[in-house]
Amino acid sequence: MDTLLYLTRRVLQALAVILIVTIVVFCLLHALPGGPARGILGPQATAGQIAAFNHEQGLDRPLPVQYAYYLGTLVHGDLGTSYTLNEAVSRLIEQRLPKTLVLTVLSALVGLLLAIPLGMWQAVRRNKPADYVITTLSFVAYSTPVYFLGLVLVLLFTQTLRWFPSQAPQGDTLAQVFADPAALVLPVVTGAASMIAVFSRYMRAATLENLSEDYVRTARAGGARQGAILFRHVFRNSLTPVVAMLGYYVPVLFGGALVVEQLFNYPGMGLLFWSAAQSSDYPVLLGCVLVISVATVVGTLLADVVQRIVDPRVKAGRA
Amino acid sequence: MNILDIEDLSVVFTTDTGDVPAVGGVSLRVRPGETLALVGESGSGKSTVALAAMGLLPGNARASGRVTVDGTEIVGAGEAELAGLRGRTASMVFQEPASALDPLTRIGRQIAEVVRNHRPLSRAEAAREAVELLRKVGIPEPERRASAFPFQLSGGQRQRVVIAMAIANSPSLLIADEPTTALDVTVQAEILDLLRGLAADSGTGVLLVTHNMGVVADFADRVAVMLRGDVVETGSVEEVLLRPTHEYTRRLLAAVPRLKVDGEGGVPVGATGSVTGAGEASAPVAAEAPAPGDGQATAPVAAEAPAPGEKPVADDEEAAGPPVVHLRDVAVRFGRGPGAVRALDGVSLDVRPGETVGLVGESGSGKSTAARVALGLVPTNSGSVSLFGTDLGRARGRARRALLSGVGVVLQDPVASLDARMSVAECVAEPLRTHRRGMPAAERRERVAEALELVRLPRELARRGPRELSGGQRQRVSLARALVLRPRLLVADEPTSALDVSVQRTVLEVIAELQDELGFACLFVSHDLAVVQEFAQRVVVMRAGRVEEQGPTMSTLLHPETEYTRRLIAAVPVPDPVAQRRRRAADRTGATA
Repeated sequence: MDTLLYLTRRVLQALAVILIVTIVVFCLLHALPGGPARGILGPQATAGQIAAFNHEQGLDRPLPVQYAYYLGTLVHGDLGTSYTLNEAVSRLIEQRLPKTLVLTVLSALVGLLLAIPLGMWQAVRRNKPADYVITTLSFVAYSTPVYFLGLVLVLLFTQTLRWFPSQAPQGDTLAQVFADPAALVLPVVTGAASMIAVFSRYMRAATLENLSEDYVRTARAGGARQGAILFRHVFRNSLTPVVAMLGYYVPVLFGGALVVEQLFNYPGMGLLFWSAAQSSDYPVLLGCVLVISVATVVGTLLADVVQRIVDPRVKAGRA
Repeated sequence: MNILDIEDLSVVFTTDTGDVPAVGGVSLRVRPGETLALVGESGSGKSTVALAAMGLLPGNARASGRVTVDGTEIVGAGEAELAGLRGRTASMVFQEPASALDPLTRIGRQIAEVVRNHRPLSRAEAAREAVELLRKVGIPEPERRASAFPFQLSGGQRQRVVIAMAIANSPSLLIADEPTTALDVTVQAEILDLLRGLAADSGTGVLLVTHNMGVVADFADRVAVMLRGDVVETGSVEEVLLRPTHEYTRRLLAAVPRLKVDGEGGVPVGATGSVTGAGEASAPVAAEAPAPGDGQATAPVAAEAPAPGEKPVADDEEAAGPPVVHLRDVAVRFGRGPGAVRALDGVSLDVRPGETVGLVGESGSGKSTAARVALGLVPTNSGSVSLFGTDLGRARGRARRALLSGVGVVLQDPVASLDARMSVAECVAEPLRTHRRGMPAAERRERVAEALELVRLPRELARRGPRELSGGQRQRVSLARALVLRPRLLVADEPTSALDVSVQRTVLEVIAELQDELGFACLFVSHDLAVVQEFAQRVVVMRAGRVEEQGPTMSTLLHPETEYTRRLIAAVPVPDPVAQRRRRAADRTGATA
């Protein structure tokens, strides 16, 4: 199919998905007990005060009207104003998002760069001691909650070994963040741990599957050596399903950022979302969810496009 | 000197449940320029021997004995030494061209890679050589095709690419493991011609692994027959195929369905007794009619199967009723726009009560689609389909379901067509649960037991899972499932093509017997003309979504009216080396004339 047509269709689909997400989140948040007024005004507020607040914020109007109004402002880049921070949500996100992106992208890169060779190596050494050791470590890493793993790392590297600081870089700008690389190590490693665990398993399985494919036997029958088979054929074929998986992993990365940012006191989106959730700060929550869902949709879109490039069969609609 | 020398080769596979011997003390040799066919049924160890000769056995296999290729010992040799041999001295062509090539690498590069594995050529030189090799194996426009990906080629072309890789460094030994099994007969004939030509030109020795006796007769100089890991008979192709001495070889040959061809011996097919093969002077094996006293293993299937000549009589009596299936001018398109595929285009066919109609054609001819239309599984774009006299397109909801419950189906793949998580009894009971909801459990159990008995499966199997059964048993479970609703029509889509010939025979036999007993009609889809000839009263030949011709089996397959059917029949190799040589010669002069 024509690539431009394909892209147009996919982008339209993505927009539809985002629209549905806003509806779902909007409804969910309004179903919370007490609503935002109770959250803002506290448990002592009288019914009169709540009613006044609701009227002031337009929260007493019918839900569809509120939603339509919300969408209207959204188109103009206006995500509303935070109840608690008294600042435009778009500005809050604008400040925080780059930092979270730095954290998640670095974690993902480190994770993949370690996980892919690790998975391949495990597949080649299948059922040998090294494979068992790495498999065990992967399961431990995957089944350990991120906050617990982070705490262990903090204790080990900041208290016992004193190699790294326990706080992430605190600067407001990206330049300030990168100025202190040592402080980034622990947050990035914590974020990458589960990624390494998951993707090395994934790569191991994909490599094993490909190693048993007929085309490997054909290559071998043609006199290809093990290294050539692995890197010329198996690597590329195993990577395509991993790329596809990557798109769906975006929300997991943001979820991890929520915990990591809290743990290392890193002022990104995760921390913003956390505090907003605690104070029922609707506009901020909605804004964050929107950004994360856009990122997820864009991530899967990118993964699909990359797959179209890597695997010619996808473009021809044959795979 | 022999190019391949196998002495007392044994192979044992280590599995979770203990050691499984696959090959026990096999000795074979292949001389330069000679083709040795290794035949046998699945599990006989023939592919294991082929892989052992390349040093390509899987990791859990242990080989002992001696295998030498051009003087080099293979058993126990290191990977590096083997890599130097593979693709240069000995190379291999595999069964499944769909999966034998790296899906993400252009075919030219894959061929060039084999060249560069053994010769110090630059990338550009190797690429040029790859184009030449593609030309040599008969790929049109090789310069352009070299940059194609495997999925852009047809099955036959892919197999040509695999062959190009195999001959890239002019090996002295070519091992071909079922090289044409996955291909259409006409393509098979082309590939066999190509291999024969290449072997004759270069003096390459060929080890041909196959289960197809026609291919053996067409191609081999000598034959070795394997049974359960042993070679039971070796000899020239004439000796083994025409005068087999071992009991198993005789049984195997007797199970092979033979296509009767006009001109070969010129046997007129009478109304009765055609399958006794009384007049088949050219086939001393008399496949269809085991000689008296041949042992019970040679259960005279053919004699029990409905002789093609007999049925039409009954057919005429029943012709009064409306056809059980009636397709009129049916068109089916897949996809839309310019890329749409016309799967069916103006197809009309009938199946009358009690008769068997064979639907034949090459892959992509639309025969399976036509069967699916009859099953109500594929919506039609135009035309009408009626089942048992009622328009299927107009029937909705309950009426449609009731109509469709009168049709049973058996599909090709005995593994994939049964749910692995259900027991045999549950598989068979499922249609009853769907279509006879009110039936008490006790009665359902009884019906299931009855159906299993019909297909001659022992009761004990009912509680097993499908994966614990053999291929033939699984196919009989499918049949029981298809028949448990006592359908008036059985649609069988390549029901035996995944099975060994002897197993195929028992399954076909069961279907034929039950048809006599229960009187259902059968729409029998098959690519195997010999099976259809034996099994069907009428035949419909399809080509590219259209009905090419149709008529009574014997007249259509013996005196085809269209060139296409003639070619289809000519491409089927008969398991008689003398007759096959004559046919090939005739075909060649016919082609040049």
